[in-house]
Amino acid sequence: MTAADMLYLAPLLCLVAGGLAIMLVDAFAPKGPNAQRAELATLTTVVLVAAAGLSVALWMKGSTRGPEWITSYLATDRVALFFDVVICGGTAFAVLLAGGYLREHEMERGEFYPLVLFSAFGAIVLARSTDMLTVFIGLETMSLGVYSLVAFRRTSPRSAEGALKYFLLGSFAAAILLFGAALLYGATGHTDLAGIGAAVKSGHADTRLTVIGLLLLLVGLAFKVSAVPFHQWTPDAYEGAITPVTAFMSVAVKTAAFAVLLRVLVVAFSDPLTASVSTGWPAVFAALAALTMVVGNLAAAVQTSVKRMLAYSSIAHAGYILVAFVALPSQGESAVTAVLFYLAAYTVSNALAFGSLILIGSRGREAVSYDDLAGIGRRNPLVALPFILGMLSLMGFPPTAGFFAKYYVFSVAVQAGGGMVWLAVLGVLSSVIGAYYYLRVVVFMFMKEPKEGQTIAVPMKSGYVVIALILSAYFVLRMGLAPGAYLEWALEAAKRLV
Amino acid sequence: MLSLYLPILVILLAAAGLATIIFTLGVVLGPKNPTAEKALPYESGSPSTGARNVRLSIKFYLTAILFVIFDIEAVFLYPWAALFRRLGWMGLVEMTLFLTVLVITLVYAWKKGALEWEK
Repeated sequence: MTAADMLYLAPLLCLVAGGLAIMLVDAFAPKGPNAQRAELATLTTVVLVAAAGLSVALWMKGSTRGPEWITSYLATDRVALFFDVVICGGTAFAVLLAGGYLREHEMERGEFYPLVLFSAFGAIVLARSTDMLTVFIGLETMSLGVYSLVAFRRTSPRSAEGALKYFLLGSFAAAILLFGAALLYGATGHTDLAGIGAAVKSGHADTRLTVIGLLLLLVGLAFKVSAVPFHQWTPDAYEGAITPVTAFMSVAVKTAAFAVLLRVLVVAFSDPLTASVSTGWPAVFAALAALTMVVGNLAAAVQTSVKRMLAYSSIAHAGYILVAFVALPSQGESAVTAVLFYLAAYTVSNALAFGSLILIGSRGREAVSYDDLAGIGRRNPLVALPFILGMLSLMGFPPTAGFFAKYYVFSVAVQAGGGMVWLAVLGVLSSVIGAYYYLRVVVFMFMKEPKEGQTIAVPMKSGYVVIALILSAYFVLRMGLAPGAYLEWALEAAKRLV
Repeated sequence: MLSLYLPILVILLAAAGLATIIFTLGVVLGPKNPTAEKALPYESGSPSTGARNVRLSIKFYLTAILFVIFDIEAVFLYPWAALFRRLGWMGLVEMTLFLTVLVITLVYAWKKGALEWEK
């Protein structure tokens, strides 16, 4: 254990140190109504960008093989670094949006930023974990921050309702996951994923216990990625939370949950005993993916609130990603690549969509429902523009990031062949439902007029939100016009994992 | 392998069964002769007064949270102290970092006014 070893943990240490520093800055900041507010959002973004930069530096350094005392708990490979950047980037978008949103709606409290940073830290620990112990610690560190962030608007009953539902169901899911981990330990005698994998492969593990443990583990994680039928908390929590927190949850939290799911399945359960297409976890994932895509899209189509529609849309997107998981055993690294690319593309598209929704509202006139959007495109075309781009990308329209993300996921499923083709067909069909409700936003913005006597949403003015929108719009177009470089990075990462 | 745990299950069942039998015997065989004194919640103390539903100040919640944080975290000092020599310098560095985080927490709670009862 040397100082040089600590370098592999630099992104994590950066987040913790930054979070603690911002806590102190907030505590010592002058108080009072006229006091100069510290620009905590800027500081937090700097910390996140620095952490992502450290991950990129570790990537460029060449060898990513860390010392064993780290890798037996936290991965230092390229997949881990890829997820570091996606999670830090998604969190940075959410923080920039919060910088504008909290000030506009007069609920700026310093606690927000350390909570987000510690949650992002938990998300990265979760995404990197190679042992059931770190899976649980990461999951809890991430979730505790998010539970309180959902309740951030303290005076709103909806916020409290969403937070309580999320907290109760989340604790329950964590307990189920822990039970699964305990059974796996009982069956194999290991808590580390590689050890579990080796025990399953050698045939020494008790098969019944292994299968039950794996299923319980999957239930716990399916809850976090909000796959149907474990999604019931999602619309309420997403709607009750303030919009920047919703963006954070749908981006960083979801990415971390998918990351750990990927690692657990590839490292511990790639043995044909558990990964057989007809009787192993791929069959479970096929059912989950099909249900999630269909239910998510159908429910999104009947919503009257745009925020709730985006919540169901995030469920539907989880379904598309699960399709690639089904192809994991047969397609290996191209399936992992599809998942990585999808998560990166989804992060920027969702940041753009939620950012646009934030930009359209201002103090007392927050835009939530479709009616709030009526006519905004004719009154302020510039404000509507990023929203259109975000909707097109979530819909999967070329040339946006969302198009290639969907394309890779479905083509992996088609290449896997056999029973997987119907999943791809189902995915494409349910995307058509998606087109209906995404385009409905555009229709309301340009072809409807506000009803008589309805309060009209006035766009807010905030440098933070504009910066977040410009950056996410750039990445949405960049990944849509020239996805080659991003795909290569994803492939480079995927190679080491499989 | 699960059969290893069978004796534990047997003991659990035996304990539950024994307790049920003893309590049932007590209820069935014991003489019942209630008086006003015997019916009191606490027979030999002073009679209880006041309402049951006393309202506690919400401020206790913050005190309780702070207690949990600092008390439970301080427990980690004991194993470190017991293995102080074996853990060596690295242990000292790690513990210093841990305590630094705790001190920052204390400073934060202090500055935010969590330690003041009346605001």
